[in-house]
Amino acid sequence: MFDKFLIRPDSLKNDYMGGQAVGFSFSVKIADYRGCFLSLHNGYYIQCDGVEYPREVQTFEVNGKAPRTFEELKKCVWEHWDYATEAIVHVKKPGGLAPGTHTIRLQQSILMQYGYAPWDEEWVKNPPVPGSGAGSGKSSSVFSYQLELKEGGGSHD
Amino acid sequence: MIKRGVSLYSYQQAQFFGKMTLKDMIAEVHDHLETDGIEIIMDSAVPRYPFPTEEFIFDWNNTMARYNMKAVTADVFLDVHQFRDHVMNHREAAQRLKNDIIIASKMGFENVRTLSSVPIDVIEMALDTAEKYNVRIGKEIHFPIPIKQRQKKKNKYGMSAVRDFRLVEQILQLKDKTGSPYVGLVPDFGIFQHSAPQVSVDYERRNAKYPEEVDFIVENCKNYSFDDLVDLAHEKYPDSDMTITSMERLAFHEPVSIPEDIKDIVPYIVSIHGKFYDMTEVPGQPGCYDEKSIDYEKPIKYLKECGYDGYIDSEYEGQRDQQDLDFEALPDEVTQVRRHHEMLRRLIGN
Repeated sequence: MFDKFLIRPDSLKNDYMGGQAVGFSFSVKIADYRGCFLSLHNGYYIQCDGVEYPREVQTFEVNGKAPRTFEELKKCVWEHWDYATEAIVHVKKPGGLAPGTHTIRLQQSILMQYGYAPWDEEWVKNPPVPGSGAGSGKSSSVFSYQLELKEGGGSHD
Repeated sequence: MIKRGVSLYSYQQAQFFGKMTLKDMIAEVHDHLETDGIEIIMDSAVPRYPFPTEEFIFDWNNTMARYNMKAVTADVFLDVHQFRDHVMNHREAAQRLKNDIIIASKMGFENVRTLSSVPIDVIEMALDTAEKYNVRIGKEIHFPIPIKQRQKKKNKYGMSAVRDFRLVEQILQLKDKTGSPYVGLVPDFGIFQHSAPQVSVDYERRNAKYPEEVDFIVENCKNYSFDDLVDLAHEKYPDSDMTITSMERLAFHEPVSIPEDIKDIVPYIVSIHGKFYDMTEVPGQPGCYDEKSIDYEKPIKYLKECGYDGYIDSEYEGQRDQQDLDFEALPDEVTQVRRHHEMLRRLIGN
């Protein structure tokens, strides 16, 4: 769902800390027709210009709070990411991205499903790795976006 | 007389892009569809779910009162991985359902819809809350689950391999056992779907590694069982990345329920999902529309004959098969739902 529209086109920016670019970020919405508990959000498959950025270098900024890792989000079992509400995905990359156009390939992993499934116990022990297809909710394919980097991104700690 | 309503699910794309608020949607149903039935997806309509603010509840009820609308059904879900350190057990699932019933009651809803995959004991455990809050629990009869089981053998692949087909039987047993009027059924018109919607075929063709595989499945689905068809497709296109889910929706060639079967469950229906994918003009009848992949005519005829006087709530789903297109090419949900109501009015006779 929302194949072409999960990332806001004008949202790609570098993240700065102490004047140094430390990564990049972009705004996303949920690839579903409903919101979810943050605990269900299991990260992203992100490939930028051919380089993969695993869940461990991603943080997620939502509900007016500072960016959180997906390990932290796992514990947010009653906090909701409302439908159609934007959130920001931050990706750690020393030096950030160069000015110009970038190709981002993305799949969102949210462990939403219709009730019980045969793989439930396995997902508790070994959550699916984003991009593998499993646990991709309603973004069943990896979608590709051409994005122009906007300068003047915000700084965060 | 059958009543017309709309699930606000139908306007999900407009909501996603911030083009319509809940109030806009309710006004559209009142002003342009000239009816009063409202259904919601609780998890998309209620901000900060499951802790709606008092202000939200007041505002919602105020809007419904302003337009004199009827809160028919609130659709609730079951996310068994919510707690992440364990799979939610049935008692926890019942507790979640109870909480949803309380929210639905605050918003004035008559019914909650549970998924077709919710275990029957979860519904039973929540029945006391349903009675206390005067909200009925309707279990959805959703593809691939039929009203009556006619196929003896279950498939190896796809949704029908993992779903429990005893749904109607179990609900009727629970009704018998408890005598409760607070449990019932929500049939989805998808059970009368007899062919793959053109919008889905087009989507799969645009996004397939081998578009000819899409044609192969559509053309051959009548000639093979679904399991054989999947094996054949794998043989013919060994390095294809087409998912079983895609194959399953392309291989529609007969409905899981025959329209007559609905006659047996009319007394137990709490509301109905009017699923549709694309309303197109009937050739030679300007201003008249129909849904080419789902039979509406016969089920509605039987519902009328049996005196069903509840709601059919439009559930437009074809937008998601076009979201790989540019923004300008996206379908207009408001137009699609207006066309659906043209058809419903004509078939119902109101």
